[in-house]
Amino acid sequence: MDSILKFKDIDSKLLTHLNACVKCGLCADSCMFYKKFSDPDYIPASKVALVSSIYRRYNTLSGRLIPSLVGAEKMSQEMAERMVDLLFGACTMCGRCVKHCSIGVDIAFVVRKGREMLAEMGLVPSTLQSTVDAAVNTGNNMGIPEDEFVGTISWMEEELRDELNDQNASIPLNQKGKRVFYTLNPREPKFFPLSISAMAKIFYAAGESWTLSSKYYDVTNYGFFNGNKREAALIAKNLHDEVIGLNSALLVLGECGHGSRANRWEAPNYLCKEYEFDMTTAVELTSSYIREGKIKLDPTLNKEAVTIHDPCNLVRNGGLLQEIRFVVNSSAQNVTEMTPCGNDNYCCGGGGGLLAMSEYNDRRVGAGEIKADQIRKSGAKVVVTPCHNCVDQLTQLNHTYKLGVKIKTIAELVADAIIIEKT
Amino acid sequence: MATLEIEGKVFEVDGDGFLTEPSLWNEEVAMLFAKNDGIEEMNDKHWAIVNIIRRNFDEKGNAPMIRTICQETGLKLREIYELFPLGPARGACKVAGLPKPDGCV
Repeated sequence: MDSILKFKDIDSKLLTHLNACVKCGLCADSCMFYKKFSDPDYIPASKVALVSSIYRRYNTLSGRLIPSLVGAEKMSQEMAERMVDLLFGACTMCGRCVKHCSIGVDIAFVVRKGREMLAEMGLVPSTLQSTVDAAVNTGNNMGIPEDEFVGTISWMEEELRDELNDQNASIPLNQKGKRVFYTLNPREPKFFPLSISAMAKIFYAAGESWTLSSKYYDVTNYGFFNGNKREAALIAKNLHDEVIGLNSALLVLGECGHGSRANRWEAPNYLCKEYEFDMTTAVELTSSYIREGKIKLDPTLNKEAVTIHDPCNLVRNGGLLQEIRFVVNSSAQNVTEMTPCGNDNYCCGGGGGLLAMSEYNDRRVGAGEIKADQIRKSGAKVVVTPCHNCVDQLTQLNHTYKLGVKIKTIAELVADAIIIEKT
Repeated sequence: MATLEIEGKVFEVDGDGFLTEPSLWNEEVAMLFAKNDGIEEMNDKHWAIVNIIRRNFDEKGNAPMIRTICQETGLKLREIYELFPLGPARGACKVAGLPKPDGCV
């Protein structure tokens, strides 16, 4: 145990953040789990203290010699269970607490480090691990066989041709030298393919040169959640190498919060290299099409009141606040905001891999009541969000709390507003 | 292990309410699970979807692609989403007694 929990190199960022927390408790009210359940263990500072106590015990002299005087605690069965429950099951690493911390302690980072410790000990919940295993073993997190993926893409291509009344409309597969390499969340081909044809319609209208890969199209990387950097690097490398293989200039990350973050901001660190190609998100690319006049939109085609759910990894932790609003406002005539929204938005409740972990279903849907109330108060009939994980949690909240709204991706909203000019 | 009680019958389920032991599934279980998710009565279309999911699971050990469900039932995508408001995974697969699929569902 000592050798597993003893860091080989000093992690100066972790040390700084662990030492900086003064346990003032200001973070408490920023956390949806604490707000909903009032359990003091859910206070973000308590989670920092948990990681800190283990770190001190195995990485400092005082922690080894006089543990009780410096708040150092030994790893035990009980402690391990507590850490799994709080760091995997009661935190989505949404980072709202970080914004509310008077010192700026990166609590989400500390939680991720805690998850890394648990991963080293082999304590990742099996429900989360199976999603990582599927990605590592099959190339996508739902284990979709390649022929079934190809069949679904041809089917969507047929639908697209019918909708556009143009037999040349296409969803290209495995084409080399295209400008854009597009990616998907596997739940799209498996269960919700309308967002694939919606994005294909946008590419068609913009006259984009693009392709999908039939092998590595998965934008997700659950290695970002399970704390196993080796697996995260392996998953990132598969996608990286495929983009190189198909010789594309721009990797476009489909609508996925953590996947965008993991690929764009974390993956070059996983692989210890600078990427040879550029990367952007589907929302930013769509925004550029609108700004450059490549696609024309008629917002009156989306008449119902729309509100935006900001995915934590794209807005608070990704900087897409204005881009999302520009695209949505260009596509719908009646856009209303939730309170709070943008960088201070509440997580949907399903982030951090929580949606994959069945054992925390009640807690996840319970914490999501805050989001459900926000949606209800907004008066909107449609909730759009550029993240498939959020879409799924919001769908469950919609059903559980009887919100009576429609949940859509941004591409679906944009596709409904597109005017195709026949030449 | 969680349990779910519907109309006096108790089932072992995972935290998301999916049947723990898929072999215990039968038509009565399907109707009870559907009712628990707000589907008062299973119509022919519900059954067509559930039967295809179940057959795929028995043959291949997993849920079919939505394309297979559409092609074999002749139903449109949007109809399936309306028939099972929780979606093909949390809605239809749960009623069909499958384990929860991996991924963002």
